[in-house]
Amino acid sequence: MNFKHVTRLFCAAAMFLALGSGAQAQDKVIKIGVIMPMSGGTASIGAHAKAALEVAMDIINNAHPELGNLPLAKNAGLAGLGGAKIEAVFADNQGNPATGQNQALRLITEEKVAAVFGSYQSGVTLTSSAIAEKYGVPFLNSESVAANLTERGFKWFFRTTPIATDFAKIYVDFLADIKAQGAKTDSVAVVHDNTEYGTSVANTIAGAFKEKGRPIALDIAYPVNATDLQGQVLQLKDKKPDVVIMISYTSDAILFAKTMQSLDYKPPVLLADDAGYSDPSFTKAVGKISQGAFNRSSWVVGPPGSASAIIADMYKKKSGEEMDDTVARQMQGFFVLADAIDRAGSTEPAKIQAALKATDLKPEQLMIGYKGVKFDDKGQNVLASGAIIQLQDGENYVSVWPKANAEKAPMLPYKGW
Amino acid sequence: MRRLIWLSVVAAIAIAYPLLLSSPFQQRLGALVLLYAIAASAWNIVGGYAGQVSVGHVVFFGCGAYAAMGSYAKFGLSPLLGIPGGIVLAVGLAAIIGVPTLRLSGHYFSMATIAVAETVRLIVTNTEWLGAAVGLSGPTVPRNVFDLSFLSSLPYYYLFLVVLVITLLITWWMTNSRMGFYLRAIKDSERAARSLGAPASRTKLYAYMLSAALTSVAGALYAMMFGFVDPESGLGILISVKILIMAALGGAGLLFGPLIGAAILVPLEEISNSWLGGKGAGLTFVVYGAIIVLIARFQPGGLLSLFTGRRKPGADKGAGHAP
Repeated sequence: MNFKHVTRLFCAAAMFLALGSGAQAQDKVIKIGVIMPMSGGTASIGAHAKAALEVAMDIINNAHPELGNLPLAKNAGLAGLGGAKIEAVFADNQGNPATGQNQALRLITEEKVAAVFGSYQSGVTLTSSAIAEKYGVPFLNSESVAANLTERGFKWFFRTTPIATDFAKIYVDFLADIKAQGAKTDSVAVVHDNTEYGTSVANTIAGAFKEKGRPIALDIAYPVNATDLQGQVLQLKDKKPDVVIMISYTSDAILFAKTMQSLDYKPPVLLADDAGYSDPSFTKAVGKISQGAFNRSSWVVGPPGSASAIIADMYKKKSGEEMDDTVARQMQGFFVLADAIDRAGSTEPAKIQAALKATDLKPEQLMIGYKGVKFDDKGQNVLASGAIIQLQDGENYVSVWPKANAEKAPMLPYKGW
Repeated sequence: MRRLIWLSVVAAIAIAYPLLLSSPFQQRLGALVLLYAIAASAWNIVGGYAGQVSVGHVVFFGCGAYAAMGSYAKFGLSPLLGIPGGIVLAVGLAAIIGVPTLRLSGHYFSMATIAVAETVRLIVTNTEWLGAAVGLSGPTVPRNVFDLSFLSSLPYYYLFLVVLVITLLITWWMTNSRMGFYLRAIKDSERAARSLGAPASRTKLYAYMLSAALTSVAGALYAMMFGFVDPESGLGILISVKILIMAALGGAGLLFGPLIGAAILVPLEEISNSWLGGKGAGLTFVVYGAIIVLIARFQPGGLLSLFTGRRKPGADKGAGHAP
């Protein structure tokens, strides 16, 4: 009987041992660890990201001369490393900061990845990048917007996405532009929910407008996942602001649109901050009664034959979905990382870090509407920016600003239904 | 005698494990097993021995985690100094929660604890000072050794091992004390225990408070290792469920049950996630869930009852109470 117990213990021990044998070196393959939510409430984000990165790897690893200026597209593999191929090693963070950190550790120590890419949720990005920092492995984030991520004094953390301060600047510039065209934009109201996202973005926008000497006229907060928003809409109707900036997740955005219709309220300019307003379920549910709503997006599809149009097509073939802002930012971030590894000409972390620091991509080398990619000392992309899109023809957004990338002219005032 | 041999075998494996399997991920896995073993052993005091199935234990876990991170983020102190604060907070909270809810029996008690846990999570989510939805982070670049922010998992492993041994000693001492006998009597039949003069309410409350204190230590250690806590990872109901399942799987109401449960479930979860997680579609949870179902079906008293069951038939009957 004792012997049997010992055998059981050995079985357990064998299970532990089996762990270490997974990693195997292959010739000319550069591994990048990708940490995404592949299960849980945001599993669809991970699935989309996976499809997008597979498209990105196809572009990098095979010759795609039709993509023009996009770095790494022309030839197969990374020229700087003798045509080496990029391989993404996906890991599931389950939306959990602890799991994300465990997986970052595994990717770095077991899979021996050259760099880590991820991790969607700001909290997970925070913990998983801390491990990369300790090990001295480059970590590139392309979609988490929490401001504190780049305020930690990290040397190995880089972020390509625009953050709240960038959004605020876009709104200030856009409103100044349409004012020059004759629209009235003097009093601005900000409507936001009480989540981290809602309050922090609202505060940043208010700060940016104040800096320009135009304090926000009206700040309306509401509880997230609200069941009734009549009070908030009536408040707007009463104060009659020229511009209403909406910071809302999907369900609240839909309820706002319906409430505005039932109370017959139309602001002259309605400007939404991505999130709920970019969700296909928003446009499907209330797109027809939100005509003329402006929205923020860094992703703008160019004319047929342009690099962004080709990539959008490839993504749609892979995933069956239209490319959206989040996926595009992730794909762009992955390209930036691959480009840095290519220029580093090595998988040595310090060389990749140096190459990332030296990154200086021009707008025409990007698939997304940033003004470029260039990191400051904190690792934040200082050229990150976005475009303004507008719901013009039923359920589809078209790009309207800045003019250089615009498909159509902005339609004013807000039409509603 | 045989027990002593077994104990020394387990102890030897525990001490030697990180030296035998020295890859960073395996060491971290070991540390995680011990961490969850601490939390599950703490739960075992009230859930296993007293038979009060608390599903809201994450509240105490969160007390520790927030106290540790708070002492760093808010006062610039070592997270270690947050541990006593977390214990005081957890014990106080346990008293406040315990007095009314421990009068409830069976599922009603479980439901009440869930309600309290969710309420606390919502309050913290809306409290700016506690980091609200963003959470609190610990030191990423350690200032000194007391920040307990190590690259290697080895220091965590041995620290957790020491705390686990202390937890198990306290549990063992308790089961052999007057309190332990009271608790078992209460678990079998509270009415009978009361009629024989056992101070049921008081004993349950003490067990609940002791369990809360130890759970808070686990929470503090958890936050120190990961360097971060937010409402979901520090106060999310799933952590309670995980702790509970580990104790039930290994054998609730048995001293080493939670340790066995953690030693099986933590590697199972991490390894299945490592192997299958990247493939997408949540395969991890399918495999994880299937194994739990199999064990619940064929060994409902917990795996440890495979061994102890033969020696003392019926000793583990109470474990079936765990959902």
